[in-house]
Amino acid sequence: MTSDQLTAEFEIFQGELRSFILRMTASVQDAEDIVQDTYLKARSKLDSFRGESSLKTWVFAIASNLAKDLLKSKKRWPETVTDICREEALGNRQFFQEAMHIHETSPQGKFEIKEHIAFCFTCVSKSLPLEQHLVLLLREVYGFKVKEIAEIINNTEAMVKYYLHVSRNRMIEIFDHRCSLINKQGICHQCTELNGIFNPKQKAQEELVKIEMVRAAGDRNKQELFDLRTKILQELDPFESGAAELQLHHLEHNRQVMENYLGENE
Amino acid sequence: MKNTQSVAKGQEGKAVTTRTTFSRETSVHATIAADAAIVWALLTNASDFPRWNSTVVSIKGEIRQGATIELKSTLDEKRTFKLKVKEVEPENRLVWGDAMGNRTYSLSKREAGKVHFSMSEKIGGPLFPLFAGMIPSFDDSFERFAADLKKEAETIQKSRK
Repeated sequence: MTSDQLTAEFEIFQGELRSFILRMTASVQDAEDIVQDTYLKARSKLDSFRGESSLKTWVFAIASNLAKDLLKSKKRWPETVTDICREEALGNRQFFQEAMHIHETSPQGKFEIKEHIAFCFTCVSKSLPLEQHLVLLLREVYGFKVKEIAEIINNTEAMVKYYLHVSRNRMIEIFDHRCSLINKQGICHQCTELNGIFNPKQKAQEELVKIEMVRAAGDRNKQELFDLRTKILQELDPFESGAAELQLHHLEHNRQVMENYLGENE
Repeated sequence: MKNTQSVAKGQEGKAVTTRTTFSRETSVHATIAADAAIVWALLTNASDFPRWNSTVVSIKGEIRQGATIELKSTLDEKRTFKLKVKEVEPENRLVWGDAMGNRTYSLSKREAGKVHFSMSEKIGGPLFPLFAGMIPSFDDSFERFAADLKKEAETIQKSRK
């Protein structure tokens, strides 16, 4: 493989790579740095690419290792991240002013409940142990097969299956407890609360029924609802969507809140 | 006194207990159609135990050589057992225990794709006769443990590629 071929192929999946690293790190800056470093590393190591895996798998392995190096010394987020960040946001006038400004002026400033579901998943999944988080995203959002994920994380297929099973079960449990979109007893209403703030003239119920996961909440089991949730992430590029700027602003807020929170609660 | 060798050869999934004046040993074994790595991961991920194991209320701490874990069992939910992890041989053998006794988990690979799991616990000592009657039987708990482990490991093994 030549450098030109690498570059051409890299450009095809670069968007996915960037979104994957964003969902791992919750940082736009880190995502962009790691994507760039991944490309440079792939170029420098191109001779070692034997074609035993696909180029995409090989590149995602490089990126995953760079993400792990960054994240392994950092604490995982608590699963109550959205509650903690909500409390901070309520007392932060500047955050809301900035958010409103983005909403009113940016072509990527829409608020859509579906986009917030994806945002919430990004935050909550950072409560999983690092390896489980990696495996869950690679399989459920980015569609890699178990064999490919084993190559990416340099582990056995058995362990990938274990991590996937445990992480899915954990996330299902969390959302079943928290998410009022799928469980009337769910304790988190942030999606509809924010929709009420940014789209006050919109009828929330009319928007909610457009979302398959919400429509299905009464008749599908928890595993199926989780699959419908991850389908939302599969179909959404957090950098390119109509709500990208608003959601990335919110993500940066949450990242900073978590940095302070985890620093204070050692 | 029964020959303790026969303890390990009871019917699959059925607990066998042998008693002597100063000790009691319970064991169970099962063949699990799963990769040994999966079984080992289930046995060594402390915080995950309550999810799949109906005999464990909680395990605090890390299951690694020399560590101390705090285990609450459904056998007696009011008690917290502080156990030292004494032996860890990955995908082979795990031993933890306290002054009363040790619990040993063993894995051995059988035919391709199957692993033989056995679990035994021996409790006893010079004062054992004084309190033996107060210790509940482990048989049911052992059988449930083995059944839960088998079910969970085989579910994970069969999960989609």
